[in-house]
Amino acid sequence: MIDGTRHGVERTLDRLAPGERGVIARLECEPAIGRRLMELGLVPGTPVEMIRTAPLGDPIELAARGVHLSLRRSEASQIHVEPR
Amino acid sequence: MSSPADPERGRSVVALAGVREAAASAPARRVAILGNPNAGKSTLFNALTGLRQKVGNYPGVTVEKKTGTCELPSGRRAEVIDLPGSYSLQPASPDERIVRDVLLGLQDDTPPPDLIVFVVDATNLDRHLYLAMQVIELGRPLVLVLNMMDAARARGLQIDEGALERQLGVPVIGISAAKGEGLGHLRRMMDREVEPSARHFRQWPAHLERVLDRLEARVPRHARVPERARHDFALALLLDDGEDDALARATPPDLLDDAHTLARQLDRLAPDWRSGDVEGRYEAIQATLARAVVSPGESRDRRREAIDRVLTHRVFGPVIFVLLMGAVFQSVFAWAQPVMDLIDNLVARFGLVLEHAMPAGPLRSLLVDGIVAGVGTTLTFVPQIAILFFFLSVLEDTGYMARAAFIMDRIMGRVGLSGRAFIPLLSSFACAIPGIMATRTIDNRRDRITTILIAPFMSCSARLPVYALLIGAFIPNRWVGFVTLPGITLFSMYFIGIVAAIAVAWVLKRTVLRGGRPLYVMELPPYRMPSWRSVLLSVRERVVLFVRNAGTVILAITVVLWFLASYPHGADTRALTAQRDAALVHGEIAQADLLQRRITGLQLEDSFAGRVGRFLEPAIRPLGFDWRIGIGLVTSLAAREVMVSTMATVFNIGDSEHDVIPLRQSLRDAIDPRTGLRAYSPLVGVSLMVFFVLACQCMSTVAVVRRETNSWRWPLLMLFTMNAIAWLVSFAVYQGGRLLGLGS
Repeated sequence: MIDGTRHGVERTLDRLAPGERGVIARLECEPAIGRRLMELGLVPGTPVEMIRTAPLGDPIELAARGVHLSLRRSEASQIHVEPR
Repeated sequence: MSSPADPERGRSVVALAGVREAAASAPARRVAILGNPNAGKSTLFNALTGLRQKVGNYPGVTVEKKTGTCELPSGRRAEVIDLPGSYSLQPASPDERIVRDVLLGLQDDTPPPDLIVFVVDATNLDRHLYLAMQVIELGRPLVLVLNMMDAARARGLQIDEGALERQLGVPVIGISAAKGEGLGHLRRMMDREVEPSARHFRQWPAHLERVLDRLEARVPRHARVPERARHDFALALLLDDGEDDALARATPPDLLDDAHTLARQLDRLAPDWRSGDVEGRYEAIQATLARAVVSPGESRDRRREAIDRVLTHRVFGPVIFVLLMGAVFQSVFAWAQPVMDLIDNLVARFGLVLEHAMPAGPLRSLLVDGIVAGVGTTLTFVPQIAILFFFLSVLEDTGYMARAAFIMDRIMGRVGLSGRAFIPLLSSFACAIPGIMATRTIDNRRDRITTILIAPFMSCSARLPVYALLIGAFIPNRWVGFVTLPGITLFSMYFIGIVAAIAVAWVLKRTVLRGGRPLYVMELPPYRMPSWRSVLLSVRERVVLFVRNAGTVILAITVVLWFLASYPHGADTRALTAQRDAALVHGEIAQADLLQRRITGLQLEDSFAGRVGRFLEPAIRPLGFDWRIGIGLVTSLAAREVMVSTMATVFNIGDSEHDVIPLRQSLRDAIDPRTGLRAYSPLVGVSLMVFFVLACQCMSTVAVVRRETNSWRWPLLMLFTMNAIAWLVSFAVYQGGRLLGLGS
């Protein structure tokens, strides 16, 4: 749907630097968790922005579809993005 | 509350009165408010119903059921139910399951509503329309309410309500619940019969569609499940995780088994089938919004960014968090105290008035020492609850609570809890009761119950007088390096409680509260000014709930304990009474006072409580406690600090509050009648303190846990495990100490 190869190598969401943006490529989590993350708007093709890391390094804050979500790194590392 | 532009105002008052009368006798219209968390649902609910609210529980679950009434322009009454905030009809929590059950007609105590008022955040239509579209497809009458229109306008969003109506097939109203904008319009809409939408937005992958059609054909015709909702019912069956009781009850077992088998087959054929419909829905949302909304491009919330840069800053974030929590804790601890003292005082005075107004006897004793004391105990918790919930609502409504959880998640995650568990646990250092009530901000059920069960290990303010008495009696005031021995001891008691809490949480998470790893995903909402009306309503709601539900249990327990400590009147105190009266006649007041104290002491010893104390002695002897401490353990079931006054009565000391020093002396000098040696060594004092840290003695806490978990299972488990742990650890402390030669 989205051709991300021109923009950079695919990475997982937790590897984005604060302020960096990407487009969700796919989710590789347990089906029920994957469904919930997608229901919250994190479907493939959605642009996301890494906002910040919590003071102690986990969780992370990201923005997608105008909403800010906090997600633990363990889940964020299962979401693959194509950086922009 | 209705807007001044109400057209009804213009009509003939007489005619209107007639219409109103007729309408008022019509059955109430059942309206459900529904939407995502952070859509402003509760603000709207409060604006519509005000003080006419009621909070209860859905049967068998910990989910709260909020209902209220409001009058519609026709004079008809609407019964409004505030359904829990939800992200999807495919539930991920007990709250969301309730929403689905109500809408699908599976919830017996709550039939599907006549009208759904679906609230969305107008500035976030994209995400909020996901659930809205799922619910619209169910084919029930629905009004879509675009909340926070003021913010949307400020951001330059142009929302074409007419276009949205045409796209979705439901009436659309723009409002601002916080500002009271558009509520009159909404009320008029609630009065009308609304035609359900006939739209479908889902685009299923073909293979999933075929499977669902096959299942749907077999869904039994259920009077409450509308024809159109049968497809969603089939999807619920297919996604069922086997833990869904309501679904299992409503479905023939063979159908549910077949659905599970189909799901497993799909897992093999197309592993990502479970989210197969989600992408399609978001595509439908994009298509809808493209026709109805003109956005000025990406807008950044500069204010939010600026505040977040400080509040979640690597250094300032935690510092501000600690300061804020310190302030909240200090307020609960300190501000409540004068009010609690005042309540104590008023209750005591009222007791005195009663004492003077009534003849001595069992009735007076029951009223004064049982009922008035019980009401007093209940009321003294109110200031702490009110203050804590004031801060909690402000922190929640401004959006800070989510940031606090964001900051604390890492630390609490180590114990297997979420960041939201921190504040309830902190509050429990003041009192476990408001702390346990504060766990409602934790959305994961297992996390919430774990937090509830470990909250009483935090040393609350009622333990402080006991620690103070025992430390004063048994711990020498000596310097050890930079600190004093009493200081270290007090700190250790708090520390032991925290260690026990962590250990118990660890065990619970691996045993009774074991479960799939929950998904910790949390929305960080934009910062908003709190609505003071909502804040005060929530404080009132918590106080009323506590007094009504827990208060009655506390009162009953106090009366039972009064009975145990007052009856039977078998002690032979005739000789002492005669001596006392003689002393009074001779004007020897001090002597008479002493004799009176011995009488009271004897009576307590001979009461049921005294007998239980003696009966308990073999069980608590290995901890170093004798029957006198046993009596204290029984009476401290009313409140831990009662231990101090009971000990004073047992040792014939007058009013404990003014005589702590002689009481300390008495404890030190107490003689064991059997050995003629000192009854309590410092080791006994430490063992007793450890017991107070770990034991579940506070019956008020048990009552609150019962109310918050909506079952007796958890409070009884708590009662049993905490007391078992307390016994074992005190046993280890006392016997270990004796082995080390510390027993003398």
